[in-house]
Amino acid sequence: MLKRHLAGVAAALALAASPAFAADKPIVIGVPVGLSGANSVVAPSVVQSAELAVEEINAAGGVLGRQLKLEVADDASGAAGAQKAFDSLIYQKKVDVLISMETSAARNAGLPAVTKGKVPYIYTSFYEGRSCNKNLFVNAWVPEQQVPPIVDAFAKGKGAKTYFLIGSDYAFGRGMLAFTKSYIEKIGGKVVGEEYLPMDGSDWTAIISKLKDAKPDALITSTAGGAPNVTLTKQLRGAGVTLPYANLAVDEGTAKSMGADAEGIYLSASYVTGIDSPENKTFLAAMEKKFGAGLKTPNDLSVPQYEAIYLYKAAVEKAGGTETAKVLEALPTVSFTGPRGSISMSKQHHAPLTMYLGQVQGDGSVKVVSSFKDVDPGEQCPKLN
Amino acid sequence: MPDDVSALGLAARPAPAGARLSRAAPFVVAGLAAVALWIAPLVLDTFAVNVLTRSMIYAVLAVTVDLLWGFAGILTFGQAAFFGVGAYATAMALTYLGATPEWIAVALALAVVAPMALGLAVGWLSFYHRSTALYASVISLVTPIVVTQLIYSGGEWTGSSSGLVGFDVLPLELEGFFRLAALLLIAVTLAAWVFVRSDAGRALVAVRDNDARCAYLGLSPKRLQIALTTVLAGVAGLAGFVFANASSVVAPENAGFLFGTELVIWVALGGRGTLLGPVLGTIAIDYLAANLSGDLPFLWQLLLGTAFVAVIILLPGGLAEVARRAWGALPVGRRPGFAPRLVASPPRAEAAPSDAPLLKIDGLAKSYGSLTVLENIDLEIRAGELVSLVGPNGAGKTTLMRCLSDGTEPFTGAVSIGGVSTAGLTPNRIVALGVGRKFQVASVFESLTVADCLLLARAPHDGLSAFGRAESLTLPQAALDVLRMTGLDRMLAEPTRLLSHGQKQALELAMVVALEPRVILLDEPTAGLTKAERTTIGAVLKTLTADLGIAAVLVEHDLDFVRQISSRIVVLHQGRLVLDGTVDEVVNSDLVRTIYSGGAHV
Amino acid sequence: MLLILDVLTTAGILFVVSIGLLAVFGVLKIINFAHGAWLTIGAYCAVVAAQLGLNPWAALPLAFVIGAALGGLAELFIIRPLYRRPLDAILATWGLGIVIGQLITLGFGRDVQMTTNLFSGTVEIFGADYSAYRLVALGAAVVIGVAFALTIEGTRLGLSARAVIMNETLARGLGIDTARVRLFTFMIGAGLAALAGVLLTPLTSVDPNMGVSWLIGAFMLVMVADASFLALGVACLVFGAAQVLISTFVSPILGSIAIAVLAALVLRISPKGFSRA
Repeated sequence: MLKRHLAGVAAALALAASPAFAADKPIVIGVPVGLSGANSVVAPSVVQSAELAVEEINAAGGVLGRQLKLEVADDASGAAGAQKAFDSLIYQKKVDVLISMETSAARNAGLPAVTKGKVPYIYTSFYEGRSCNKNLFVNAWVPEQQVPPIVDAFAKGKGAKTYFLIGSDYAFGRGMLAFTKSYIEKIGGKVVGEEYLPMDGSDWTAIISKLKDAKPDALITSTAGGAPNVTLTKQLRGAGVTLPYANLAVDEGTAKSMGADAEGIYLSASYVTGIDSPENKTFLAAMEKKFGAGLKTPNDLSVPQYEAIYLYKAAVEKAGGTETAKVLEALPTVSFTGPRGSISMSKQHHAPLTMYLGQVQGDGSVKVVSSFKDVDPGEQCPKLN
Repeated sequence: MPDDVSALGLAARPAPAGARLSRAAPFVVAGLAAVALWIAPLVLDTFAVNVLTRSMIYAVLAVTVDLLWGFAGILTFGQAAFFGVGAYATAMALTYLGATPEWIAVALALAVVAPMALGLAVGWLSFYHRSTALYASVISLVTPIVVTQLIYSGGEWTGSSSGLVGFDVLPLELEGFFRLAALLLIAVTLAAWVFVRSDAGRALVAVRDNDARCAYLGLSPKRLQIALTTVLAGVAGLAGFVFANASSVVAPENAGFLFGTELVIWVALGGRGTLLGPVLGTIAIDYLAANLSGDLPFLWQLLLGTAFVAVIILLPGGLAEVARRAWGALPVGRRPGFAPRLVASPPRAEAAPSDAPLLKIDGLAKSYGSLTVLENIDLEIRAGELVSLVGPNGAGKTTLMRCLSDGTEPFTGAVSIGGVSTAGLTPNRIVALGVGRKFQVASVFESLTVADCLLLARAPHDGLSAFGRAESLTLPQAALDVLRMTGLDRMLAEPTRLLSHGQKQALELAMVVALEPRVILLDEPTAGLTKAERTTIGAVLKTLTADLGIAAVLVEHDLDFVRQISSRIVVLHQGRLVLDGTVDEVVNSDLVRTIYSGGAHV
Repeated sequence: MLLILDVLTTAGILFVVSIGLLAVFGVLKIINFAHGAWLTIGAYCAVVAAQLGLNPWAALPLAFVIGAALGGLAELFIIRPLYRRPLDAILATWGLGIVIGQLITLGFGRDVQMTTNLFSGTVEIFGADYSAYRLVALGAAVVIGVAFALTIEGTRLGLSARAVIMNETLARGLGIDTARVRLFTFMIGAGLAALAGVLLTPLTSVDPNMGVSWLIGAFMLVMVADASFLALGVACLVFGAAQVLISTFVSPILGSIAIAVLAALVLRISPKGFSRA
């Protein structure tokens, strides 16, 4: 206690004495995230991984000698909340950068403020793709990276020819399945049904009956995360559907909460806890140590958040400061090797990623079936080169 | 009485000045607010400017919700849908057409017209003869659900759940949008303020208080409600236009049911029916939310929810009610009610006396299931006649009155007024044929003043100003007589809920007389009145029929009263018309005696 | 065949979900917009029962008792002052729903909760596999409907409730303690809602907002049924069928708003809904 107190005084004295007072101000990272609303289940894990990254970087001397500081704001997982959160972070907290995992509606709602406020914005959530803005960078997957491993596995591994697609009626659900359909058709498969229910819909009865009627070889779903995912899975299992089943929107955490109902589901992700690399092991151990019993399982949405902070650090170091134009110039050129491997947002503001095909086990854990190295995000923002 | 004269003299002079001041007040307040808000962006930081821009746009919606719910009594969750349609119309027009001045004008037009069209449809669906307030709320709940679903299903076109972003907008800076939102808010609030204080604004309250009475004054409450819904949908759409431009993003939740409930919560907390309460409430709560909800997302919702429940139960007037009570305790807060000058209208040109019956009933019968209430009623009543309808309780008198005044009542047979059949006509259209009805239980507008009630009764003749208060109130002499004889002429500024039972009866009679009907239906107009009041009303009825040639149908139990004033008496018993004759014929008939002693089964 | 089963089971589930709301609306003439919150409370009773290691079926009586008890409190403190203001009661109960949702969030977290399945697997019926639980739910709807009918027809409370439905002033004049009738009815309505919450757990995710998505449908069905529980049964069948058929043959998205839209139109054409028929 005394020690920390003394350290504080010393730091204050040092600051006061330093001629470059402004330069020693902390670099502020804004994290607008859905603490309430649809994303509130995953949001705590995102905040935790951001906290770890900041702590590690600060312990190692910060960025260009400056400490990092997090400002978390609730975007209520939606557009109206995001407008408030972005305004607060950009204009009130004067953040240097925004790094966040959010819903597409919240990201879009925040973009005008990002443009007007002239801050870089690293988006760390997988999404349906093609969101282009010169201030926006993405280090998570898009359909072009996530879908092919699953369809290939079904087509080659299970000999599946006919597919049934089920989704929630929203941008991600429709975007993912539109790509899935085109990919299936490209490799010579056939989509025998494509059905959507509104995001807050809870009765999948008719769709499940249609699925049974269509008798496809495999089922691929892309619902909204959380409740619709669980509801659909419960009703599918209740109806005795035992087809090869891939869920494009499920993560390890949700799979675990679904218990036995999730067993056998295939998923494709850029991160699973079981990745066998020294970086991942160090990361998991550090998380365990920092948060102990309160740890939220790291997942495909929280790990990119951790890496994005390191990517930003690298860009600031390369740019020699936090000036937005220079940071934006540096961002596509830097890379960071983290739990998911080496990440660089070099492809039209998006990142080539190593993808893992996994299958949910009886205890809710995910077993990696195969991996695909550096899958390209494809043509996301041709105008941003 | 010199006291009286001097009092009158004193009261007369300051009154116009006070009225002028009070009429100017909204404009002065609006002017000051406009100046303050014009300067505000220079003082406020960017964050506050941004957040308040949106808060002020939401406050515009709160004003529309307040007009619908606080004034007209229509609890609505649907304003969010109209706002969303306006915002999406703007965003889609700007995205797909471009942001040239011409296309921006098109976007603006679309943003107003599209919600108005939807508002018209919703209004038509929500308000019809005998629709209930609950049903209107049901529809207002379904509307945003359907609109949101359409947005989700719109795919790339509407941006689905992600909304639309990145379209070009009006070339304004943050401060410019702040001022635009401020001007819109001030203009809408001012217009609403002027409107609710005008005579037409009283009609909203009248519809909320008693829409049956409105209909029986010849006003069409449903048309008023539909018009209000449509116009306010347009206002909400306009707010949507400004929102889409100011934030350059639109999302499905802007049109959603939850946003609709949020608007209602803001209005309730601010104080429904006060306009300024909801405006300030919305801005305060939304601004507070922007500052607090980031730190305590769940607690914020919990606090808001708890406050909402508490306000609804304990303080229906919201925070404005608290402010008003505090203000009312101060001497400056009290203002005398407004009352127009009474003017007698010139006597109507006598209609050429004609022998054709004014009211003709032909074989009327009505039953509820197997229970026959009226059967085979034939009756003709001519101008100048005062026909009393007598019979024991349950004879069907009130039912008959209802069938005469409401053509949508299911009955067989025919009723015609001056030769026009009433079949299928709603009460307000029958009133237009020249029928006035006074109910058994005095039916007036409890929240309005005596003068307002009379003004509304004159609305079919003189119209209602949507901008101000009428200086004078023109009434037919007979109505003035009723007022004078009952002393109501000195209580014009008095709210009717403070009147005595007899005064309410007299007021309702004056309202019906003010309609200048050709046929007047009176259901026990003297019930519960003192002897003196009864005599007064009897005299008025005599004048109306004998001198003005109105045909009157009177339901009455007091046979003495009937005998004094009637020109004819009709006896109704067990749903049948058993006797129709002069006063002497009926009063002296054995049949009537037996009926009233309870023994007859004809 | 599958279609008929879908219709019947959907109607059954709708009936289970709306019956509590109907009881409250019939007697109190008040729309309980916290109905969704009581469904959620019931589902969380199942979660607690699972955590305590109880038999999953034990959650049913538990939920009924807890739902009824909380319902009693809500009636005393929130509903009672608002009898004369039915539109305000809608708002107050909606606010109550928000409060309950947030309290559940604070207590259990936002996450989807685990429950033990009441009944899993499929049965072969008419040559096809069909979800066993949906048939159980249909059975539950019939049992609840019959129990409800017996209560209405055969008990003192039922008699008093019917009297209050028909003519409240008269009922009071006959010495019926209408305040008590209302309290008990609200408790039963709330208890039934909580019970329905447990019955929903095998079909939906259990999270603090789960009730809201069922609220609108239940509300519209009750509007159409207008206080008659037989009419509610008919309404569930007709609109359940409409939902399934539209979902199957047109689009599940239209199907999901079918109940709300069709019910609104039915009310427009015939304001008394199905109760007249």
